[in-house]
Amino acid sequence: MNVISDKLHVENNKWIGTRTIRPDGADKVTGRACYAADNVMPGMIWGKVLRSPHAHARIRSIDTSKAEALPGVKAVVTARDIVDFPLDKSVMLGIQDMRWMCRNVMAREKALFHGHPVAAVAAINEEVAAEACRLIEVDYEVLPHVIEIEDAIRPDAPILHDFLTFEDKPSNIAGRMEAKLGDVEAGFAQADVIVERTFRTRPVHQGYIEPQACTVSYAADGRATIWSSSQGQFMVRAMTSLLTGVPQSNIKAIPAEIGGGFGAKTIIYLEPVALLLSKKSGRPVKMVMTRDEVMRATGPTSGSLSTVRIGARRDGTIVAAQGTFYLQAGCLPGSPLRGPVGCSFAPYEIPNVLSVGYDVVSNRSKVAAYRAPGAPLGAYATESVLDELAGKLGIDPLELRLKNSAKPGSKAAYGATFGKVTFEETIEAIRTHEHYRAPLDKTPRPGVKRGRGVASGFWYNAGGESSAQVNITEDGNVLVTTGHPDVGGSRASIANVTAELLGIEHGRVSVQIGDTSSIGFSNLTGGSRVTFASAMVVTQSTEKVITQLRERAARIWKIDPEAVTWENGEARPAGPNAGQFPPLTLTELAAKANEMGGPIGAGVQLNTTGADPGFATHVVDVEVDVDLGIIRVLRYTAAQDVGRALHPSYVEGQIQGGVVQGIGWALSEEYLYDRQGRLDNASFLDYRMPVCSDVPMIEPVMLEIPNPKHPQGVRGVGEAPIVPPLAAIANAVHDALGIRFTSLPMSPPKVVEALEGA
Amino acid sequence: MTDRITLVLNGSPVALPPDTSPTTTLLDWLRGPAGLCGTKEGCAEGDCGACTVVLEGPDGGRAPVNACLVLLGQVHGCAVRTVEGLRGPDGAPHPVQRALAEADATQCGFCTPGIAMAAWAHAREGGSVHEALAGNLCRCTGYRPIIEAFAGLEDDGAAPPSLPPVGGATFAAGGQVFHRPASLAELLALRAAHPEALLLAGGTDLGLLVSEGRQRPPAVIHLATVPELGAIAADAGGITLGAAVPYARLLPLLDGSLAPLAGLLARLGSRQIRALGTVGGNLGTASPIGDMLPPLLVLGATLRIASVRGERESGVEDVLLGYRKTTLAPDEVIVSIRLPRPPDGAVLACEKLSRRHDQDISAVGGAFLLRVAGGRVAEARLAFGGLGPMAARARHAEAMLTGALLAPACFADAAEELAQDVAPLSDWRGSAAYRLAAAQGLLRRLYWRVAKPGLPAEVHAL
Repeated sequence: MNVISDKLHVENNKWIGTRTIRPDGADKVTGRACYAADNVMPGMIWGKVLRSPHAHARIRSIDTSKAEALPGVKAVVTARDIVDFPLDKSVMLGIQDMRWMCRNVMAREKALFHGHPVAAVAAINEEVAAEACRLIEVDYEVLPHVIEIEDAIRPDAPILHDFLTFEDKPSNIAGRMEAKLGDVEAGFAQADVIVERTFRTRPVHQGYIEPQACTVSYAADGRATIWSSSQGQFMVRAMTSLLTGVPQSNIKAIPAEIGGGFGAKTIIYLEPVALLLSKKSGRPVKMVMTRDEVMRATGPTSGSLSTVRIGARRDGTIVAAQGTFYLQAGCLPGSPLRGPVGCSFAPYEIPNVLSVGYDVVSNRSKVAAYRAPGAPLGAYATESVLDELAGKLGIDPLELRLKNSAKPGSKAAYGATFGKVTFEETIEAIRTHEHYRAPLDKTPRPGVKRGRGVASGFWYNAGGESSAQVNITEDGNVLVTTGHPDVGGSRASIANVTAELLGIEHGRVSVQIGDTSSIGFSNLTGGSRVTFASAMVVTQSTEKVITQLRERAARIWKIDPEAVTWENGEARPAGPNAGQFPPLTLTELAAKANEMGGPIGAGVQLNTTGADPGFATHVVDVEVDVDLGIIRVLRYTAAQDVGRALHPSYVEGQIQGGVVQGIGWALSEEYLYDRQGRLDNASFLDYRMPVCSDVPMIEPVMLEIPNPKHPQGVRGVGEAPIVPPLAAIANAVHDALGIRFTSLPMSPPKVVEALEGA
Repeated sequence: MTDRITLVLNGSPVALPPDTSPTTTLLDWLRGPAGLCGTKEGCAEGDCGACTVVLEGPDGGRAPVNACLVLLGQVHGCAVRTVEGLRGPDGAPHPVQRALAEADATQCGFCTPGIAMAAWAHAREGGSVHEALAGNLCRCTGYRPIIEAFAGLEDDGAAPPSLPPVGGATFAAGGQVFHRPASLAELLALRAAHPEALLLAGGTDLGLLVSEGRQRPPAVIHLATVPELGAIAADAGGITLGAAVPYARLLPLLDGSLAPLAGLLARLGSRQIRALGTVGGNLGTASPIGDMLPPLLVLGATLRIASVRGERESGVEDVLLGYRKTTLAPDEVIVSIRLPRPPDGAVLACEKLSRRHDQDISAVGGAFLLRVAGGRVAEARLAFGGLGPMAARARHAEAMLTGALLAPACFADAAEELAQDVAPLSDWRGSAAYRLAAAQGLLRRLYWRVAKPGLPAEVHAL
């Protein structure tokens, strides 16, 4: 593993940067870790959702009387019970518009996709709940549906929403986003070589192994407790409150251990429904999605139709770039336009850029965030065109990127002016890597061709609101509480930081994720923000605790607190008092806490800033079986600026996991619909995520270039790794076959077809 | 009157209440009445492996299985170990669990209990790490730390459970009957009396009806306890295997000239699937994508079929009738399969095309048996699955190849001729055109398989 270290912000680290066993590790390997579906309560009943059998239908009426009369049924909920957010007024929670969320959680005027919730039932067991769902009579007026982007933007397309207009006409285009720099046409006029291509990607699912689940108990006094799997208990509280009308102060959202999210669990589906079922029935209600429901009715990421045009001078200087990105929003507005529009050209210094995104609705489940939302599909287009451009110019593809890379002070079309930029370092890391230099036998045996490709990627990274509380227990150990679910090992990183700062054994620090009633507001786990932000608030909290500890020691010794230092887990007299008193350990100070001023602990609540963007450059070797169309990834190396790896294993894990998701996206994963607008492959049997034998051992190259705006130098790492793989693999396939694939996934049928056409 | 389902759970004997539905999945029972939530449900269709538990054999063998596909009636008399039952000395984590934690092989942790159980079985059973892990999806780690942890595992040497043999049994509850006949005569009588009952071998296909489909089949006849159906023996001429013998027991016997079949079966599902799935099941369901059917066709396998009316022998080709249809009469069952070895000098090649290397349903399957003499193809038997409503021989292509020179062009000609043999279906796994093109590619490649046997056998060779 390559680790290129710059100066560290914490000197002589004992714990930071080491591979400690994660605090939640033992619970996870022994099966004790409690996920949302594991929660059982006395008196608990089961909730089940009735889903639309049509891709597009007006709901004329819903008759729930037979279901309600079925013995064992305790409550039935329809859209009437969900708070309505009128269409003419936007109510935002973060990036989510409640007008859409209330209709996504339960179909209101229309069922907009096959699988759209129409009603829900709570009953004494799952079988009765399922039977009750069958007894609900829904009168549908079936409407023509539309699935693909090209069909949805045709003038004669069935319109999903009468209230949406584009250029003053009813349209399925729900929005437009633009990033602009200079004059793109004037730029292209200066170009010697211009490459323009159109690319397509399919929606892909985040593929978390844990289906969405929750248990909600609504008490007679109007207070509700929610146990659920999410990427943000505060998001669960706020969104459930908005959709049910129960005030936030009356909702306690308890984060269960989360079995993967990758962005998808930044919105909710079940919690408001379960709360209303619990309120009506007076019983705790548990709801667990099946895999079919997860695939059919939770959000994948957008499919896309992108056209990218890049122009360069003969010497490789890029003078203009234009991107047009149509993204599938699913049935309600909200594609991640910001991903392709902003990220696609951001790694490069290009004087003239026009990047435009369109948000297109169609009769699919509403998309949800997926790791660097939208950025991979944009990079697929841009980095493929760059590869072609490099070929036309006769320049090494990494040289081309290096020549045009963003530098400190570069202005990105999306608006940022970069401070420190570490893109060049990632390119250099790949260029000098043994993998990139190793010879590749391009025709190792009959029927097989090999190729090598590179691509780069950019992700914004985020800061945002975080809270932490660091308490010293009476026996002198440490309990750290933060407010965002741990999806990638943030507890391990926080334990390392806290033990380091306090100078104590790692095992004396416990880290927990607090519920909404026991820790201050903390924004979602998303945007690659959690290790960055939580290390920041935990550091500040721990520093406050150390100040308290020095004050306690000073009081005991009757000297000035300024004359006390904290080293190696103990207070020591310093300056004129050095050596006068024996040191006081954390345990000793904790034992004297109550007589010397009370409990020891401190919390910090902060809107964190300084999360600079992440850059990555990847190289991949592939092998193509030209008879069968099978593409296999032979070797993969991913370089990324990670700032400071507080726990290297989980930084590597983010890179390896992100790359493997990218491999699935490039080669085998896709949403497939039949003519009736039903998802054809709503199961793990038919939706092909990579198993271990489909991928090589991904080699991460962690560049530790400390982020100067963070106490430990941390930079977000979780999302950038999924940005380059789609293009890197497509570029490698081009190197192998001379065929440029402009449509994903590069599945065997598509490869065979392309080879026959070549 | 009903028998009670008994099993050994994590080392302790358990007798289930008489009103327990015998078609409850092991997973639902573990997470519900047994209160053991460590075993996770990720898909309820035997694909993700999060529900992997281990069946401990009296011989010390450890079979990882997907608890979502196993019905309670199936585990009568078995020893089941779940993640809660893995412990080291003094209640500390088991060395396998410690290895996973120390390798940072767990992130979100939802797949981890299943992976820990796959690891525990692997530590004893050995074999390739990738094969041991192919039945477990992980979406967080990219697999690398898990593979690294698996590579260093050691068997804990724990003694096998003592399992008192259980005889035949009948479990009746809530309007369902689950028969476990203990003899062939009993099975045939039951089959004659209940032609509508589900014949359950391993349950990797039928288990889906219950697990994913949430059905409650009224009558099930389980085949695993009939001695004739569970026997397997190899001799010089071939292998005779009972219809209810799981693939995992067949695999070690596939040596020498049958080794190419082992290469194929190592990719049939995953270890979890092969621990339960049977050749008899592949034949009985007659799915066109059953991986085993093309090899059975080219090897000229014969079936022993029995009913209360008597016994008969039949070639596989005579049994397959159409899409999921066989010529078996309603009262007949497959007792055993005779798998002859390829004749001396013949070359067997088995192929499976799927998007994923492991744990995938084939888009196209193929098996080829070729005898070469004097630089010419003396005999060619070619069979394909996934190209039409049923697995079948490709007679036109066979004729084209028979007598032809051992030369690439002749195999290409046979590939062209294949279009006369098959009318592939189109679905999302592949269009008809792709299926035909890929099948033709397999035939062209057959030349290299025969002429240059030293080449890596598979595109996916790791």
